[in-house]
Parts: sequence; C-alpha cells; structure tokens
Amino acid sequence: MEITYDKNAQEILSTIKSFARKSSLWVIAYGTGCGAIEIPPTMTSRYDAERFGIRGSATPRQADVLLITGYLAVKTLKRVIRTYEQMQDPKYVIAFGSCTINGGMYWDSYNTIKLLDKYIPVDVYINGCMPRPEAVIQGFIKLQELIMNKKAEGAAKYKENLEWYRENQRKIIHNWRMPEYNW
Amino acid sequence: MDSFWMKILGFVITPLVAFAVGVTYGGIVRKITARIQNRVGPPIYQNLLDITKLYSKKTAVNHGVMQHLGPVFAITASVTSLFFVPVLRDSSFWFNLSFDGDLIFLLYMMVFGSLGMALGAGQTGNPNSAIGVSRGLALMVGYEIPFVLSLVALMIQFQTTSIHGLLAVQDTFSSWIIFQSPFATIAGILAFLGMMHYAPFDVPFAPAEVASGPASEFGGKYLALMMTSGSIFTFVKLVLFVNIYFGGAEDLLTLILKTFILYMIPVLTGIVNPRYRTEQAIQFFWKWPTVFGIIAILIVVL
Amino acid sequence: MVEIMISIPVIFVTIFVGAILTYLIKLIMPKVEAYFALLVSAATSYMAFALPKTESIYKFNLGSFNLMWGNNEYSHLFAMLVAVLGFFVVLYSMDFMAGKVNLGFYYFNLLVSIGSMLGIVYSQDFLSLFIFWEIMTWSSFMLVIYAQDEKFSVGIKYFVFSAIGAYLLLTALVILYTNSGSFLLEDNINNFIYLSSQNQILVIIFLIIGFGVKAAMMPFHVWAPDAYKAAPSSFTALFSGALSKMGIFGIGLVLFKFAIQNTDYFTYFQFALAWLGGITALLSTFYAVFQTDAKKLLAYSSIGQLGYIIVGLAVGTPLSIMSALLLTILHGAFKAMLFMSAGAVYYRTGLLDMNETRGLIRKMPLTFLTALMGIITVAGVPPLGGFVSKWMLYEALIQSNYYFLVIIIFVASTAAFLYLYRFIFSLFLGQEEKEFENVKEVPIKMIIPMLLLAGFTLAVGVVPGFVLEQISKAMGYLGIQTPNWENSVLFSNWENSSVNLMSVATSIGILFVLGAIFLTIKNYRSTRYVTTKDIHTSGEVPTENENLTFAVNFYQPFERSLGSVIKPSIDRIFNLIGKNIESAADYLRYIYTGNGQTYAMYVILFFVVLILFADLMFGFKF
Repeated sequence: MEITYDKNAQEILSTIKSFARKSSLWVIAYGTGCGAIEIPPTMTSRYDAERFGIRGSATPRQADVLLITGYLAVKTLKRVIRTYEQMQDPKYVIAFGSCTINGGMYWDSYNTIKLLDKYIPVDVYINGCMPRPEAVIQGFIKLQELIMNKKAEGAAKYKENLEWYRENQRKIIHNWRMPEYNW
Repeated sequence: MDSFWMKILGFVITPLVAFAVGVTYGGIVRKITARIQNRVGPPIYQNLLDITKLYSKKTAVNHGVMQHLGPVFAITASVTSLFFVPVLRDSSFWFNLSFDGDLIFLLYMMVFGSLGMALGAGQTGNPNSAIGVSRGLALMVGYEIPFVLSLVALMIQFQTTSIHGLLAVQDTFSSWIIFQSPFATIAGILAFLGMMHYAPFDVPFAPAEVASGPASEFGGKYLALMMTSGSIFTFVKLVLFVNIYFGGAEDLLTLILKTFILYMIPVLTGIVNPRYRTEQAIQFFWKWPTVFGIIAILIVVL
Repeated sequence: MVEIMISIPVIFVTIFVGAILTYLIKLIMPKVEAYFALLVSAATSYMAFALPKTESIYKFNLGSFNLMWGNNEYSHLFAMLVAVLGFFVVLYSMDFMAGKVNLGFYYFNLLVSIGSMLGIVYSQDFLSLFIFWEIMTWSSFMLVIYAQDEKFSVGIKYFVFSAIGAYLLLTALVILYTNSGSFLLEDNINNFIYLSSQNQILVIIFLIIGFGVKAAMMPFHVWAPDAYKAAPSSFTALFSGALSKMGIFGIGLVLFKFAIQNTDYFTYFQFALAWLGGITALLSTFYAVFQTDAKKLLAYSSIGQLGYIIVGLAVGTPLSIMSALLLTILHGAFKAMLFMSAGAVYYRTGLLDMNETRGLIRKMPLTFLTALMGIITVAGVPPLGGFVSKWMLYEALIQSNYYFLVIIIFVASTAAFLYLYRFIFSLFLGQEEKEFENVKEVPIKMIIPMLLLAGFTLAVGVVPGFVLEQISKAMGYLGIQTPNWENSVLFSNWENSSVNLMSVATSIGILFVLGAIFLTIKNYRSTRYVTTKDIHTSGEVPTENENLTFAVNFYQPFERSLGSVIKPSIDRIFNLIGKNIESAADYLRYIYTGNGQTYAMYVILFFVVLILFADLMFGFKF
C-alpha cells in the first residue's frame, strides 16, 4: 500500500513537472537559415505563440528549445552543437523545413549538412519550405504532446550515444576545437 | 507561547503570500502586455509555470561559489526586506519585524540582493553580465537621487524615519501623503519607474543588447530562485510605496487593489516606450524628478 | 608589578628603543628583525590596551615648558585603533615585505610611526603633540619614498602639504601660548575664551587646516592618492587606517574643546566644515569611480570616508559624533582590510592595474572573502558594521536639518557602490586567465590580520555595543551628551526610528543558510562546475588568449551621463589644482633639497621668524 502511494505521489509530481515543462517552452532561436524569418510572425500579434507559453530567451543557459530554422552550414553546425551543449537538461530540438531532413534545395551543396539528426538529436521536424507560422505552432504542440507523454528524450539519447554523435560531428567539422564535454 | 507560534506562522505565510501575489502580478502584466499588443497572451499563472519548470530542470551549471551563492543573496535580501515592511496597517500578524527597522535600513537592505547578484554575475566571466551590472549600478545612482530627495522631504516634514510613523501620520490626518506632499510623491513615483526596471529603464537587463545582462549565465535552479526572489521583491517594493505614499492598506483586498494600480504605472509606461540608453536614463532622473524632489524639500523647509 | 610597569613613558621607550634595536638587529642578524618588530609592536599594543585610564598622568619639564602625557577616554579610543592596526600591519608586513631591500629601515620607520601616533594621542600638551606630529610626518614620509626612488615628487608633494599643515599648527600654537603662557592642553582650553575673537577664529582655522591636511580634507587632499599608492600596501593600510585618523583626533579636539567655546562662530564653523566634508565625500567618490589603479581607487575612497567622518563631527549632534567616531574605528578596520587584500593581490601577481588583474577568486578565496566583507562594510549594507555608522549619520543629518547635505551624502554612498564593485570585480571576478594559473593564496601571516579585521566588522554590525561603549566614554571626555545606545539596537531621537541589529542579523543569517542549503542539495549530483571560458558567446568557442573581460572603461555610460555637466568640471578643478600644486612643488624643490640638514635649518629659521613675529605682534616673551 505504501509503495503504491509513493508511486502515485511520484507520478503526480512527474505529471506536474511535465505539465510545467510543456507549458513553458523558452526558445533560443538560432537563426541559421531562411526559416528564421518565420519566427517573428509566430511570436508577434498575428499568431501569438506566447499563449502556449512559448517565449524567447536570451541565452542557452535559460533556454529549453533550440530551433534550427533551416539549412545548416558546417561552420554553423559547430556553433549549434556548442549552443545545444550549453543548454540545461531537459532540452528539446525542433528542426524546420526540408533542409534539416535531407538537405532540401541544398542537397548537393558542398558545405551544408543533409540530416540534422546525425549531429544533434531532433525531437520534432516541421516540414515545408519554409513552414508557415501555423505549421511552426503545430510543431510546438506536437512537442508539447511528446513532453507530456515523456517521449521527448532527445537529451537522454544524446547523452547515451554521445560517442556516435561525436564521431559524426568530427567527421564533418574539420577544425574541431571544442572544449571537452562533461555532463 | 501562542503568540510565538503566531509570529512564526507570520514569517512563513508572509513570503508565501508575497510570492503568490508577485507571481500572479507577473502573469497579469504579461497578459496586459499581450492585450495591448492585440495578442491573446499567456494564462495569468504562466510565471508560476515558468518558475516550476525552472525548478524541475535536471541540471545546472555554475562558474564557482560566488555564482552559486548569488541567488541566495537575492532571496535573502527580498525576504528580509519583506519582513521589515508592515504588509497591512493595523494587523500585527503581518508586521513581522517591521518595528525593528526603518526606511533607511530598508533602503540599504534592498541593495544587499543586487550586490550579491552583481557579484555572482561577475564571477561567470560573461562580459554581458558585467556590462549589465555596470549599467544597473549607474542607473541606481540615477534613480536614487529623486527617491532619496522624496524620502528626506517626507522624513523632515513628518519627523519620522519609520514606515509605521508615516502610516500613523496618514492615519491621523486621514489623508494620504500623495495629497499632503504631492511633489515628493511625484519624485518618488518617477524614481519607482527606474526601480522596477521596466522600459524605458530596462537597459541593464535588455535581452537583445546584453543577453539579459546579469542573468545571462544563470539557468535551472539558479534562475528559478532568482525569479522567486524577483516576484517577492516586486511585492515588497509595491507594498513599501503603497505604505509610504498611499496610506497603506487595512485588509489584503485593499492592499492588492492599491498595489495593482500602483504596479500599472511602470507597466503601462513600459509597454508603450522604447528603451533609454543608460546615460539618457540617468539624465532623465537627474532632471525633472530631481527638480520635483528639491521642490518638495524646499516646500517643507520654507 | 605589571601595573607599575605599564605607563606612558614605558610604552614610548619600548617602541622607540625597539625601533632602533630592530634597525640594529637587521644589521647584525638579518631575518630576525621582523620577529623582533612583531614582538615590540605586540608589547606596545598590549601595554596600550592595559594602560590605566585617567590615573596614568606623567608630568615633566622641558626647559621652561611644562609638559604632560596622559591617557584619557578619548585618547584611549584612538590608541586602541593604532595599537590593533599597528600590530596587524607589522604581522602582515612579515610576509609581505619579506625579501625586500632595506628592511631595517622599513621596520624602523613603521615602528616609529606607530610610536609617534601613540605619542600624539597621549600628549596632553601642544608641544609634545607637535613634536610627535612631526615625527609621524617624517617617518611616514620615509615610507612613502621607501619604494620609489625615481618618483621622488610624490614624497615631496606629501612633505610640502604636511609642512604647510605643520606650520599652520605651529602658528596656532604660538598664538595660543602667547595667550595662556603654557602649552598644556588644559590651560589652553581654559584660557581660550580670553583670546580676541579674531585670534580665536584664526587659531581654529589654522588648527583645523593643520589637522585636516593629514585627514586629506578636500582642498588639501592632493597628496593623498599618490602617497597612498607610493607607500608599500602594508604601510598604506596603517597610513589610511590609523595615520589619517590623527587628523580626525585633532579636529575633534579642536571642535569640541576650543571652537565650541565661542558660540558666535561655532555654528558657522560647523556649517562650513560639514559642507566641506560633504563635498569631499561626493567629489572623491566620483573621482574614485574612474580610477584604474586599485590603490588609487581605495585612496580616493579613503578621502571620501574621511569626508563622512568630518561631516559627522561637524554636525555636532550626539548621534552624528557617535557615528563619526564609530566610522573612524571602522574605517581603520575596513580600509586596512581593503588595502591588505589589494596588497595580497599585488604580492602574488605584481599587478594593481584593474584593467589587467582578473579572476582571482578561486585562487585566493580568503582574500576575496576579506575584500567582500570590506566592500560590504564600506557600502554600508547590513549586516556588517558600515551600516551602523551610515545609519547613525543619516539619522543625525536628517534630524539636525542638513537637508541637502544628507542628499549629497546619500548620493556619494550610492555612487560608492560603483567603485566598490569595480574594485572587487576587477581583482577577483571575471574571466580566469592562464597567466594567473599558478597564483596561490597568500601566506597565513597575511591572512590572519585580514580575517580578524573582517570578523571585527561583522561583530560591529551585529553587536556594536562593545565599540559604542568606548566611544560614548570618549564623547564624555569631549563633553558631549551620549545618545541612547544598546548592545545591538540603534536609536535615534525620533519615535519608532530604531534598528534592532540582532533581528536583522538573525533574519539574514537564517535565510541565507536556508537558501544556501536548499540551492546546494537541490540537484547536487547534476550541478557541475564549468570554467569561465564556457559562457554564452553565441556559440563561438573562445580561445585561451581571447580577452572576454569587460574591464576597460567600466563605467563609460556613467561617465557619459555625468557628461557635459559634472565630469569635465571636476576634472578641470582637479587638473588645475594638481597642476598648480605640482608647479609649486617644482619651485619648492629648490627649497626642499632632500637634504635633512637643510630641512633642520629651515625649521630653526622658521622658529626664529615665528618668535620674532610673535614678539612683534603679541608681545610674546620667553
């Protein structure tokens, strides 16, 4: 009896936590590609993402969600990895547009990556070129669902498979000059 | 023994109420901002959700002991200041320690937290934090002048330096200080704008310029404690100003009404205003608010 | 047995003979002299503490002059400051000065200056006060020029100002002597009223300027920043902490033993002096904000704090005098702490330029703690001691109708946050650099005095009663009614205006500990330490040599806001004064040859001129 009570209490607590996490998503908008232009309308009066608790944050230390808004050049990827690693756990990644899935219109470019998930764990992809604000909000709601069902475990995945990710990252970033990452 | 436990209960309840009110106000402000910008806005308990989320972050980083203790300084200062402010006018349950300190003490106690935060922010080594602190301290010199002018005018006029004394004055004359010495009130309220750090005086924390300034390296539990302390501190400042200029409050409802109306002054100013540069902000405080403060003192003296 | 042994001449013999012996021991057995100096200062400090008050009066005749030494409550207050700080500074010097040249010379002058300060406070007559005053000037001058042969002009500046002060003192003494026919303090106090009012004013102005020069009062402060900077940090702690307080000692004596007798002019003196102190506090604070050298910053801060003390003395209500005397003691403690921690940084890094030092907090945690408590005390933030004196000063000023002065003092102490943060940020916070990687904490002999003084500031902040007791006795000697005080409650004359420091300290203490425990145990395992290179830099990875500290032009916005109004005019005034003084000093170099014999000749010449002058003017006869 006592154990079940304890379990219930823990479950309630974790539900509260998940609810809080889900309804307060602070976004560090990393304006990598053309998709960054979709962020202002999403945040401002027309589409008002703040009603879902989505808010911009100034630094990665405070942020929960990393938005990859479009194609990623190799040079930019390095900064993205660094920003991602500076964020505090739990953290989520939302990738915009086709570019982050298969390179999109840059599929044969010499200096953009093709699949973002090989380098950092992506929780939600929003397809489109570019996704309109409605789609972006839809993506956020999907992320909220995942958080509520405790399926948005990208950070844990990254921690577990750090070596695999590192290998992929090192393969593409030639002047690797990153500080050692300690959890 | 009974009164002892009542006192302890007071020490526990007061910060909780302060936090609840402060957090709700934060949410309401976001809602009002949103409505003014023709948006729907977040629910009014959004700030509580934010703080809960920050507390439930799994990891945190610090750059050393001073950064670790910075938020502790902040929460200590805000809760201690809260204990030394009489929250309600005639109810001894809400007095806590307010007979053990006076206005000058409060002025200095309120700086304690900022000092600790500034030191914590300094240790992170983030240039944005240092720039934010530099701007914040400079701004403080700006708004302190009209505020002190206003307070000194009141202290001389009513021959008291304690909040209880000012409350008693407003009780005996049954008129608020805003009517008894309007110039001091104007100077005080203008200084209050700077104190609350809403636009146009939000330059120390400008997210787009210095990446939220002193807070830029704080995340997780540190930011959570800072936001908790910030909510309480907002309440402290509001209650203090209501007590000084607007006759205090006899029950919680009046208090909430008065503080809310007072809070709307910096908030509504902030929503429609852009940001001053630091030197412009300081020069603003050193012009009209200071003139009003000097007029207030001259009226008392002459 | 011990009671008989402890008397004022024994103290003087101990310290002055001890000083000479230290010098000799250095010649015979190097490396022992520091321990011997410590022994001498420990013995002196013990005797100064144990010296019975009131009874220990020692009279003797020098030629035709009656001289008297004695210990009263007012002397005792200052003697304790000198004794404690003197001992701590000698202790601190043992490691700080180790390996420097001319150590015998250093310790000799250090001990002589401690001895002469004790001499000043124990003097009950003006002649021995003046002699000790000159010994103090001379020994501190030697220490100012000790480290800097090439910058002799700094020492000269100090010496010129001291000499001006000393000559004014001497002139005042001659006038007093003509009147009373005695150098004894008591006789002069009793006969002061018989002076013509013109001479009374002259005497008071001369005495205040004479003493004020040492206290770095505003028009006469020009020597202070350079001299404080030039002297070794260990001595600067004593210089700013205790030596400048001799000026305060004198001003207190002049104001409340002499000037107060002439009620026609006393209020004007009070008013003028209070505003002078206020302006000193304000301007030197603004000037400190823009310094880049840590010791110069502290020097200007020191001038500002002495301005507060002068304001407190000048306002002249019991509360304000109590705050001034408390600040006198406290300033001795916290400015010594700050100079010692700046010295500790210099000891380990060889740097005092605040644009270059940074990030030493994790290398020198105890030094940081000292500096932190020091700046909290200067800022006047509770629960440390500075708050007590600041609170008293504000209450006193508000209640005695100095409306605008209180604003000036408030602004000065708010602006003080700027330079205080600058000081601690530049030395200890910010980026941790590779060049300071091997810096270690300073040796224990330097740590002990710093931490003890820090503990003292905390004690004053919580239970100031133990200092206020001695201060109220000292005020009794000055003939001032003591305000209400309790062990840990501050009172002013107005109703409800009191601060219970015990509940303040309890509240802060409990909340701080609770908060710290909560923040530490929460996520203890997943909280990690990262270096100061691991910061938000928009994803960029900073290299090791990349300079990420914001240190140069730290208060540029503030400077801009002072902008066209205040900043240039302050600068202009300062530059003007500085330039004129410097050019005057250049001329004076022809007079001040640096040769001791010439100075001796000047002093004798001056005496002759004075005596002739006195003879002609006042009919002064030996």
